[in-house]
Amino acid sequence: MSIYKSAVNKPITTFMVFTAIVVMGIYSLVQIPVDLYPEMDPPFISVMTTYVGANAGDIEANVTKQLEDALNSVDKMKEITSTSSDNLSIVNLEFEWGTNLDEATNDIRDVVDRIIDFLPDGVERPTIFKFNTSMMPIVFYAVTAKESYPGLEKLLDEKIINPLNRIEGIGSIGMMGAPRRVVYVDADPRQLDAYNLTIEQIGNLIAAENMNMPSGNVKMGSLDYQLRVQGEFTGSSVIENIVVGNMAGKPVYIRDVATVRDSIKDLSLDEKINGEQGLRMFVMKQSGANTMKVAREVRKNVDELQKQLPPDVKINLIMDTSDFIKGSINNLSETLMWAFIFVGLVVLFFLGRWRATFIIILTIPISLIVAFLYLYITGNSINVISLTSLSIAIGMVVDDAIVVLENITRHVERGATPREASIYATNEVWLAVIITTMVVVAVFFPLTLVGGMTGVIFNQLGWIVTITIVTSTLAAISLTPMLSSKMLRLRPKKQNPGRFSYANTIERALNYTDNFYEKTLRWVLRHKTFTMITSMGVFVGSMFLFNFIGTDFMPESDESSVTVSIELQTGLRVEETLKTTRYVERVFREKFPEIQIMSASSGSDDEGSMFSLFTTTGSNMINFMMRLNAVDERAKSVWDIADEMRAEIGKLPEVVNFTVSTSNQGMGGTSNTVDVEIFGYDFDVTNALAEEVRQRLVSVPGAIDVQVSRKKDKPELQFSLDREKLAIHGLTTAQVSTYIRNRVSGLITSRYKEEGEEYDIRIRFQEEFRNSITDLEEITIVTPTGSRIKLKELGEVKEYWSPPNIEHKRRERIVTVTAKPDKVALGVLATNIQTAISDLDIPQGVMLNVGGAYEEQQESFMDLGLLMILSIILVFIVMASQFESFAMPFVIMFSIPFAFTGVALALFITGTTLSLVAALGAVLLIGIVVKNGIVLVDFTNLMRDRGYELYEAIAISGKSRLRPVLMTAATTILGMLPLALSTGEGSEIWRPMGITVIGGLVFSTIVTMVVVPVMYGILARHGERNKRSKLEKQFHFMD
Amino acid sequence: MKAVMIIFNQANTERVEYMLDKLNIRGFSWFSNVKGRGSETGEPRMGSHTWPEMNEAVITIVNDDQVDVILDKVKKLDEINFEVGVRAFVWDIVRSL
Repeated sequence: MSIYKSAVNKPITTFMVFTAIVVMGIYSLVQIPVDLYPEMDPPFISVMTTYVGANAGDIEANVTKQLEDALNSVDKMKEITSTSSDNLSIVNLEFEWGTNLDEATNDIRDVVDRIIDFLPDGVERPTIFKFNTSMMPIVFYAVTAKESYPGLEKLLDEKIINPLNRIEGIGSIGMMGAPRRVVYVDADPRQLDAYNLTIEQIGNLIAAENMNMPSGNVKMGSLDYQLRVQGEFTGSSVIENIVVGNMAGKPVYIRDVATVRDSIKDLSLDEKINGEQGLRMFVMKQSGANTMKVAREVRKNVDELQKQLPPDVKINLIMDTSDFIKGSINNLSETLMWAFIFVGLVVLFFLGRWRATFIIILTIPISLIVAFLYLYITGNSINVISLTSLSIAIGMVVDDAIVVLENITRHVERGATPREASIYATNEVWLAVIITTMVVVAVFFPLTLVGGMTGVIFNQLGWIVTITIVTSTLAAISLTPMLSSKMLRLRPKKQNPGRFSYANTIERALNYTDNFYEKTLRWVLRHKTFTMITSMGVFVGSMFLFNFIGTDFMPESDESSVTVSIELQTGLRVEETLKTTRYVERVFREKFPEIQIMSASSGSDDEGSMFSLFTTTGSNMINFMMRLNAVDERAKSVWDIADEMRAEIGKLPEVVNFTVSTSNQGMGGTSNTVDVEIFGYDFDVTNALAEEVRQRLVSVPGAIDVQVSRKKDKPELQFSLDREKLAIHGLTTAQVSTYIRNRVSGLITSRYKEEGEEYDIRIRFQEEFRNSITDLEEITIVTPTGSRIKLKELGEVKEYWSPPNIEHKRRERIVTVTAKPDKVALGVLATNIQTAISDLDIPQGVMLNVGGAYEEQQESFMDLGLLMILSIILVFIVMASQFESFAMPFVIMFSIPFAFTGVALALFITGTTLSLVAALGAVLLIGIVVKNGIVLVDFTNLMRDRGYELYEAIAISGKSRLRPVLMTAATTILGMLPLALSTGEGSEIWRPMGITVIGGLVFSTIVTMVVVPVMYGILARHGERNKRSKLEKQFHFMD
Repeated sequence: MKAVMIIFNQANTERVEYMLDKLNIRGFSWFSNVKGRGSETGEPRMGSHTWPEMNEAVITIVNDDQVDVILDKVKKLDEINFEVGVRAFVWDIVRSL
């Protein structure tokens, strides 16, 4: 029993099966998380090692090099890069996509275990750090306060962060620039000397005083008492009154030698939000949590919790990544809805029957819903890629149902009962339907095999389209016949159709088109050479258009947010940096009314939060984060604003370097840059070359944000000790450096507790005694013999310049000069840069290489090229087996080049660049275009088999297949139209695909209808399908 | 006793079944998926890619008086649409067991 017969005979079962699918699909739809992109586990693992006190050079030689050499043998590793900076070595390992990172982590751990003994003493155990996209903060808040500012951290911790942590899916909540309470004990070195005291003594005393100690049990009477000594400070003022020593019989109090300040930490990071004092709070989600849901919950809760805060504390949203996601998803959902309506209208237009239209349209939701089922089962999310895939599929899923329904209608109109017509008509076409589906699958399925980062996008698209198309075919041979058997009625021909009835308007127009096409076809068949030469000319001509079309990797999108980072002269103190910050803030406020919220942070947070991994901080760095009005509320695009900002910042003489960036979502953090990589060991040589390259790059048209990865040498004060003198006094370098550290940075021996929170008690010299070289030289050191000497007796303070970071790639020193493209395609920029640096005089031992996102782009386009070849081969295989001929597939494939002509035209007219997405659209076209050709050629073969003469067969089948071809093309085109026209948030990402497919399809459909019949006419021979004459040649027994 | 063989397009299956039922013809032999083509106008029914449609055939042995009734109904069936096609052929039964 065949599937369609069972379906028609058991309508309720069929209905129930599809209802079950729909119910499960809707259930999945509710459960699936919503995100911007499919989850990607970027195959990066970092090994971080701290070696306190070592400078970049030491770290490079003693730690990084060792680790790199050992880690180089880890399986499946693609590239190893590293950065050695003061105190810290970071080795980044990039793996092949799809590598099992857990296994890789274990391998790395083994390697680290093996070599840890060879690392210098004092190196801390390397930590292995796996990067994940879900570690990126999803919501940023700016918190401003006036009177409550000093206690803001505790306030937020209690009133906001703790309640928020209860939300499901929250990974962690961090704060940047929070004022921290610290108890300072600022000692006066002269007083200390006078009273014969040291910082260490004070520290030890405070630690000894500030403690609670359980001291045993006392049994008294019938009770057992616990005995405790209670010494912890009840208030910070207690510290002042601690006795640290005796002098001439009188006690010396801490207040005699130092001032105690219970205050907020000295400035190292300054956060201003809209010019007001404040801090930034950011929320990170757990891996796999629904960004939209978490963000929604967080925002709802924050609004609620804000009421409990003092009135001067204001919490403002700076950035909510879910806004963009929500915008994009809503936008795409709207696109899908429009596509649905358009497809419905097209079907109604061609069929002119409500019931038939309904039956066909019904396959759309069913096929699409199965895609949600797939997403749910595989743990994927609803994202831009999956929704775009659905948009692509929506026009194609109706095709099979149309073919089946058309044949059923034909039978019904001939008088068969709908039930029988459904069975027998489906029987006639089901094989053809499956074969055309296989052609489409042949194009989309290879997409699921692509690896790498592009693979993440392609795989989902490949699977979704394959699954929806296969489902639609299954629905077309089961649900469609079943519904037809129940719903179709033989409609008696109206005797006097109304003036504006379907028969008198649209049908007449369609008939006219059919006839016109038939005439055209007969004409071109008589002028085959002319037709072919003309079309070849058009094709070759269009290929020249590609010279005017730029290439791009991923289209950038307007996310209404701008981040600016400005670097001032290295070593500048925060207080100086702030002056520039305030100035830039004021300029931005005046010139850019589009800015809704601006948060500026200057300096660095020495606590080193997770966030520091994503931005560079330093006392000379300023980071701005700005949120702009919504896209449709402003005239200027985010890129225009960024350009103007660049101009403004460029005017400031104190700015050494700056970047203005407009995206914060980027695909897995890939940047859109061209990198010039300079490999070489000698710092001076490579620095000079990098500077030369930088200068050339700046003058390359279209290059902006030119950056050199190696930071400028920074000033450093080095205290070089005289070892002989040290030995005389019985001191070691370690002792002396601890002494210096305690006096300058401060000594923390104990913490002050209040209401369950602990605050550092930091003991050090008063500021005026530790901020000049003379002051440092005057530091008193107590020798083991008890004598007091000045630091200057032990050595001298020298000023040095040293590189703050040393980078490696493939275990070699590297400097990268990066440039971003501005209104020019990345590919073009790469070529320009290559020519600009081609005549550089490259010193010996130095190697130059142009790479970056450009490199990745090349790889991806290469992948796509291979994919296209694979698709074409598969399509050829399917067609050759269907037609049992080698010539027929060629006839059909002749229409493929014209699809690319259409793509070139569409891209050229709309001024779109050929990005990965557009190229992908071009690959998809192969399947859709070929499908049209198959319909035409198949029917022509049929007509010839039925005995028509070659040209007659071509003309007749052309006329009869025009409507189905136009119809399937129109559903696909109109299904993509909303995609191509959408302008809202995120539309930049998918618009190119819509444009390519529409352009390619419109053009190729027109050409297919002319060129394919002509090619058929050229390749087929008269009478070749005449079986009778063939048999006559074979059998002679009757002669 | 006469044998009536009705050969018809599959799409008419239910109508033929109904007809036999209605005429109280109990005995018949049914041939499914019969290939064939008409002598003059009838389109081939080969179940192939070129001619995808198929016929069915039923042979029934009836009393002489029923033959005309059957042929009359078959004619009416044919008149619904000539394209679909139904034909009936009658021949004598010489002996039966």
